[in-house]
Amino acid sequence: MIKFEEQATQKLLDKNLITENQYREITTYRGLNIFSLNAELKFFLYLSVLLFTSGIGVLIYKNIDSIGHIAILSILFVLICVCFYYCFKNSKGFQKAETVFENPVLEYLVLAGNILTCIFIGYLQFQYEAFGTHYGLATLIPTIVSFSCAYYFDNKSVLAIAITGLAAYIGLSVTPQDLLKNINFYEDQTLSYSAIMLGVLLILWTVYSSRIQLKTHFNIIYLTFALHIISIAAISSLINYFEDIVWLFFVIALAGSSYYFYKISYEYKAISLYVFMIIYAYIGINIFIFRVLEFMDFRDLWIFIIIALPIYFIGSIILFIKLIKNFNKEIAA
Amino acid sequence: MIVYDKNLLDNLSLVEEAKSLQSAGFISKEQKDLIKKELPAFKRQSNILVRLGFFLLGAFLYISICGVISLVGLSGERIFFEICCYIFAVVGFAVAEFLANQNYYEHGLDDAFILGALLNVGFAIGITTEGYEIVIAFFVAIASFMMYKRYLHLVSMLIFCIAVSAFLFYGMFEFGAVGKAILPFVAMLFAAGFYFFTKNLINKLTESYHYKGLLWANTFCLILFYLSCNYLVVRELSAELLGNEVLPGQDIPFSYFFYAFTFIVPAIYLVQAIRTKDRIMLWISFLAIAFSIYTIRFYHSVLPIEVALTLGGMVLFTIAYFSIRKLKNNEVGVTFKPDRINNSNALLNAEALIVASTFGLKPELKTESPMEFGGGGFSGGGSDGSF
Repeated sequence: MIKFEEQATQKLLDKNLITENQYREITTYRGLNIFSLNAELKFFLYLSVLLFTSGIGVLIYKNIDSIGHIAILSILFVLICVCFYYCFKNSKGFQKAETVFENPVLEYLVLAGNILTCIFIGYLQFQYEAFGTHYGLATLIPTIVSFSCAYYFDNKSVLAIAITGLAAYIGLSVTPQDLLKNINFYEDQTLSYSAIMLGVLLILWTVYSSRIQLKTHFNIIYLTFALHIISIAAISSLINYFEDIVWLFFVIALAGSSYYFYKISYEYKAISLYVFMIIYAYIGINIFIFRVLEFMDFRDLWIFIIIALPIYFIGSIILFIKLIKNFNKEIAA
Repeated sequence: MIVYDKNLLDNLSLVEEAKSLQSAGFISKEQKDLIKKELPAFKRQSNILVRLGFFLLGAFLYISICGVISLVGLSGERIFFEICCYIFAVVGFAVAEFLANQNYYEHGLDDAFILGALLNVGFAIGITTEGYEIVIAFFVAIASFMMYKRYLHLVSMLIFCIAVSAFLFYGMFEFGAVGKAILPFVAMLFAAGFYFFTKNLINKLTESYHYKGLLWANTFCLILFYLSCNYLVVRELSAELLGNEVLPGQDIPFSYFFYAFTFIVPAIYLVQAIRTKDRIMLWISFLAIAFSIYTIRFYHSVLPIEVALTLGGMVLFTIAYFSIRKLKNNEVGVTFKPDRINNSNALLNAEALIVASTFGLKPELKTESPMEFGGGGFSGGGSDGSF
């Protein structure tokens, strides 16, 4: 409630922590009584794009036999052209640094155009096998389109689609819910290797693009994907496979990525990377300890383990508090 | 009743204010850091991720302590099973008290022990009374209210609200069929009464400590009020509780009232929210409108889903587009210009994540059909075996 915020400002003034001038500026601004619907309306635009494109997708899917193919294709094509026409007309062209549209609606038109393009290409492939039986191509082309859109129009949502497309090309599903459900790595061990490779590639790309100063604000998205892909692939392999050499490889991979992300989260001052890095590293350490305990004779030890557990957790809590405190101090500096 | 040092609570609100003033650009970062340094503070985690992490760790610690106690108790008799939850609850209260004395506030660790203790109170009463819901609700309500009063713990306030409503519901069940039949109206009146009661309390507040807790209770009442007489909720609950099967061609009693309620209340919320500039009510009104639409679609298939989605998208786009155009240049009052002090940008940051989860491309080898990628809408459909 405004009342208490004003009180707090007043108290700050009384304690001489803000100046008289600043106080006056703040109260004048509060006096304007602004109620901004900025975030809400933008979110509506965004939601409308999601609804519309899902609707179109289902519409095409259900009526694939009844409406003429040419009709569908041409309607889609017209829609895509309209979206991109407005975007190109109003964009400032490609820029290496971060850019924003003057009109917020356009950002969402880019998203709509991009998703519709993906549907268009998917439909083309389904109906006409435009890319022959090279299904890889049918993923790769939307991916390339998305990447170019993301970089040209500076759109983070489209970039996220592009990265999932890239992962799909090598056979991974990295949509957040699938990563959480951890469905990828059960059937195919080689996928874990490709996942780790993909993560490394993404990291290398961030290194390169910060060197040439290309859209450096995208790096955090790449790094987030890389962290989760590498860590989840490594952890699920640690749980599922037990040949010693392979197991050791994944231990090293997880340790290496944790160390790298420890460094990088300090550099980017990104607490979300830091926290997830700690969580994954902690899970990894616990799996490691568990494996070591397995080698010893478990049955005699279990009472001891239960008693030691609270101490172990208290120890970890103290360690975590230290880590977080360190991090907060470092990024505040 | 509040266990914390009031000075620290005051400092917390000052630091929060300084933070929002800094992000609004009224004061410099150095000034904010100075303010932060000047004022002693709680051990508190403002980042929700970090707080969740500590909550998990705290929960592990709590469980492992309970494990040790059980290890000792297992050698005892059956009586241990009957009292173990009481012991666990006492442990939870003790640790929560200890943490509060160490100035842990909204840290994650304290959350784990407070919530764990409340959970154990529920279990303990449940075991003693063999699952008599009304008694459980009663004691949980008391315990959570104490927790809120002592530790200003907001989630406890929420649990208190839920427990009180549960107490009311189970109380109505005691009256048999009549009680169940008038339940929606009682719940509605209760929510309305409680809403104005908390609103009044908020207006009379002179100190800010209880403001957030009361706001949560107030918000809870808004949601409960809408749900209490929502057509879908009433119809499904009456089928569940009274066994009233609604035959084709018939409808539940007072159906017109419930239909009207389902649509008028969100509209009132929306208008009232804009009028009083109440952001929470605004969001509840959006959610309520969405749920009202869902309610209608649940019983009457007005349009096939894909047409509804497409049209819905277009309508929403038009509304948003014209609202933006209209509000773009307002300097005061309701506007499209971002507010410097209170902004809800966290929402927009989540956009990329939502896009990735709904529209992420998936590998085709697994899904057997290239139709899978491109639109999130496809994924439910699966393939029809043409491949």
